[in-house]
Amino acid sequence: MNDFIRIEKLFCSLNNIQVLRNINLTLYKNEFASVVGPNGSGKTTLGKIATGIIKQDSGDVFIGDKNTRDLSLPEIGRKIGYLFQNPDRQIFAPTVFEELSFALKYKKTPSAIIEQRVNEILDTFELNQLKNASTYSLSQGEKQRLAIGAILLNDPEYLILDEPTTGLDPKRKNELSKLLSILVNHVGILLISHDKAFVLKHSHRIIELYDGSIINDKKN
Amino acid sequence: MIKKIDPRVKLLIVMCISSLGLVFTKVSMLLTVFLIGLLISRVLKADLLMLLKRIRIILYLFVVLVVIQSIFIRSGDSLVSLGGITVLTTEGLGRGLAYLMRVLIILISGTIIATCDMRRLIQGLVQMKLPYDFAFMTSIGVKFLPLLMEELKDTLTAIQLRGIDINSLPVKQRIEIISYIFTPVFVGAMSKAKKLSLSVECRGFRAFDNRTSILTLKFSTVDYFALTITFLLTAALIAANQYFI
Repeated sequence: MNDFIRIEKLFCSLNNIQVLRNINLTLYKNEFASVVGPNGSGKTTLGKIATGIIKQDSGDVFIGDKNTRDLSLPEIGRKIGYLFQNPDRQIFAPTVFEELSFALKYKKTPSAIIEQRVNEILDTFELNQLKNASTYSLSQGEKQRLAIGAILLNDPEYLILDEPTTGLDPKRKNELSKLLSILVNHVGILLISHDKAFVLKHSHRIIELYDGSIINDKKN
Repeated sequence: MIKKIDPRVKLLIVMCISSLGLVFTKVSMLLTVFLIGLLISRVLKADLLMLLKRIRIILYLFVVLVVIQSIFIRSGDSLVSLGGITVLTTEGLGRGLAYLMRVLIILISGTIIATCDMRRLIQGLVQMKLPYDFAFMTSIGVKFLPLLMEELKDTLTAIQLRGIDINSLPVKQRIEIISYIFTPVFVGAMSKAKKLSLSVECRGFRAFDNRTSILTLKFSTVDYFALTITFLLTAALIAANQYFI
């Protein structure tokens, strides 16, 4: 197995509340893992720690062979794509096209390639009709697809998806399902979800959190 | 005890400090006002460390503004000149320092207000006959502020997670990024305000001026003492500025 994220003896507290306790976890590149657990069990915090958004009190997180303490957010972002629980929090450009082309533009990608890659994503996520639409007028499902599309344009090696099925109707959920089945052949995925059926359908491995500790880590 | 000083007294203190900061032009007087503000801030146990942390990012902007203020004033005696061209004059240095002092006075005034419990501050404003509409708007604004800060932080994080190192971008692109950070937060705030107004109206709430409150503020001896000191000190500073310095 090709290990990608390694979490060792990790403790984390937020606002003086212990959220994660002694977490030891290895996530692999060619694996679809899911984190499940009740509200407040620390699922989102775990995802944010793996991405370096939140800093731990003690313990280490390694991405590849590098400790996240030595990596900046942009450096982590080039390796890991993180989908926020609320897509509103990560959509910042005024139009769908701008949102998708944002990272490529600042990485000085030639316009023709930007156009081509954005169009591919618009096709994949059925957002063609909304190419020039305002991002503020999109439905929750459209925002969710746009956010995932924007992350994928960054060519991440690993994806952390926090509740990606929230706000999706059965048809869109099915489409996301198909997309993840394809993606898992190219990138590692950590899914944080309450959607039991979705988790069971996709996961190679299910990690169960309760009160900040891993109480179960089994193959599916 | 000190922390329980009536918010109206704190408002008056801040009003005096910031007015003196705007009216005075001499650096020595501005420095005195700043030091008095700092002392009051310490007595009221304001979180100065937090202020330093918050302004750390824009600190360099202040320095740039002070330098710009200094070098564009041509009057006064030459202090620094390069190849026969005067770069800095005594007047320029004075104006630059005065600008810096004014910014510091405003910031220190902010820390004094921040020691007020927001509920008490709003009640203070209402008891000072501020129309309830404005007091209500202020209280809602205060409640939403942490949320907006969190949204700003999340947007910044989202941008960085796209692999963009903002610090390494040229200035023009950095300014562009700032618009990307603020626009969604403003749009979100507008949308939240719309939903909130609908929600409060659905519950039959109207911001009528004639209303009672479970919390009413009363001046204590400490408040009267603080008020007297504030008036005396303000008068003394005005006199010193006028006649002695």
